Amino acid sequence: MTSTTVRTFRPARSATSRRKWIGAAFAVPALALFGAFAIYPMARVFYISFFDYDLTSAPRWVGLQNYRYLMDSDSFQASLTATVFYVGFTYVPAVLLALVLAVGLDTRLPGSGFIRLLYFAPVAMSWVAVSIIWRLVLQPDGLLNTVLGTHVNWLTSDSSAKWALVVTSIWKETGLFVILFLAGLQRIPPELREAAAIDGAGRLAIFRHVTLPLLKPVTAVVCVMAVIRGCQSFSAQVVLTGGSFDTEVINLYVYKTAFESARMGRASAVAVLLFFVLLLVTIVQLRIFRSRER
Amino acid sequence: MTRHAAGSVLRKPAEAAPAPVAPPARGRRRRRGLGRGLLLYAVLLPGGLVFASVFLYAVLSAFKPADEVLATPMRWLPSSFRWSNFAEPFEQVAFGRYYLNSVVVGVAVTLLNVVTCTLAGYSFSKFAYRGRSLLFLVVMATMMIPLEVIYVPLYALIFDLGWVNSFTGLIVPAGTSAFGILLMRQSIDGLPDEILDAARLDGAGELRILWRIVTPMMGAPLSALALIVFMATWDSHLWPLLVGSDDAHRTLPVGLAAMQADNAGTTGIPMLMAAAVMALLPTLILFTLLQRRFVQGMTMTADVK
Repeated sequence: MTSTTVRTFRPARSATSRRKWIGAAFAVPALALFGAFAIYPMARVFYISFFDYDLTSAPRWVGLQNYRYLMDSDSFQASLTATVFYVGFTYVPAVLLALVLAVGLDTRLPGSGFIRLLYFAPVAMSWVAVSIIWRLVLQPDGLLNTVLGTHVNWLTSDSSAKWALVVTSIWKETGLFVILFLAGLQRIPPELREAAAIDGAGRLAIFRHVTLPLLKPVTAVVCVMAVIRGCQSFSAQVVLTGGSFDTEVINLYVYKTAFESARMGRASAVAVLLFFVLLLVTIVQLRIFRSRER
Repeated sequence: MTRHAAGSVLRKPAEAAPAPVAPPARGRRRRRGLGRGLLLYAVLLPGGLVFASVFLYAVLSAFKPADEVLATPMRWLPSSFRWSNFAEPFEQVAFGRYYLNSVVVGVAVTLLNVVTCTLAGYSFSKFAYRGRSLLFLVVMATMMIPLEVIYVPLYALIFDLGWVNSFTGLIVPAGTSAFGILLMRQSIDGLPDEILDAARLDGAGELRILWRIVTPMMGAPLSALALIVFMATWDSHLWPLLVGSDDAHRTLPVGLAAMQADNAGTTGIPMLMAAAVMALLPTLILFTLLQRRFVQGMTMTADVK
């Protein structure tokens, strides 16, 4: 009796440890790719930011010079301003609009699927294709001026080019946030709102005191996503303005510094700063939404 | 028994209680329904049509002769539908090549992600080895490293490897994603261990279990992952611009942006619109068909935070 239990027990134990090794091995392909193409470059970006490096000749140590240059650089400051303007005026309205649309679209009435698709469609279109389409819409004799009855040179003036990008991007991005909000709304049990309605709460009160608090986790994700996506913006600026007229956002600035001026070190310094800003903004946003939950 | 009885006793008055209140509640609900319908059909439908009219404008412009696209006053419909505008991109630039490249890169990146994320998700979900949670944390932390932060040294690495202007350079660095691993881990977590143990008792190897038992039950998350990765790859512009800018390796976004730069005047507009519309159709169709999967994938991973 005892001998048989021991006999079956021992191979079972070595089998579990062997199984663990196999299981760990399954993570290796992904980990190897992350190591080579995310973590190693992440370490390198800090390192290179202390060098003058043009990719072909040997990197030359310059200490903090790249960072000092950026502090005094007008074009860098301008790209920061352009980014803050773009992110703020695109994503704040897009998120608010998305919330309103999601509340309205949270219904199973006939035709609601089709109406949703009208708003979702830009999500499935590539940024470059959308930007090419909007380049036509924004022409002096294009759709936008025709509809508004204006004669604005949307793409060729300092005062309006940044708004052209904002309008294009709101059109492209709102749908994504509607999708996320809508999924969040549909997970709120209808009984909660019904109970509040029976207690005599008005529609606005229900929205403010029942729906909105329950949407908080989704809102947190949406806000973090919005800032990160905003700072990644690139294609719309390349296609619509090429970065002229105060629209050279941070990402385009990095690209031009690295690949048009061949200053990899300086571009890396910008990337490092961008990384810390994104990290900080994400932490702050998550904290705001978490503390309000309590 | 007694608990059951008590439950039913308790339930009865609770069910009965709303009955006298029901008529006003129903009335309110009907009014709410009416308000919803009004909001949907009188506000959101016209709003949506205005929203989508931008796309319609682009599609109709793609059929116009060059002198009609920016005619004043603006006309929605072309005088005649010029299908030849859609052939022009293939004649003037290597549009067919760009298209093929986008399909090849999109499919390859998607397949790689499906494989690496399933393997890693399975590993992080069902095997209790040392360091597992630390490794998973590291993977999740890479979500905070967008391409925009690391592409300068990443390009330097690809340059040193000799992968510039190659499909390897376009595909391999995008071969896995933290998002996908999270999605697969969350989904595989839902599988009971007993099923896997039963298969082990039958002598099945771990890879066989993954392939024969786990994967077939992961249809929904896998298609969500594939859809989201394919759409993101199809949209990707910056990275292909860096490592695939020659004519043989250009994907659609790179090719389209170059066409735009070469056709600054108005004569090229119908061709550009035709090219843009053709370029966005595959993902638009996929998204329309698989909308629910997209939502599923996006929300499953958004849940964790």
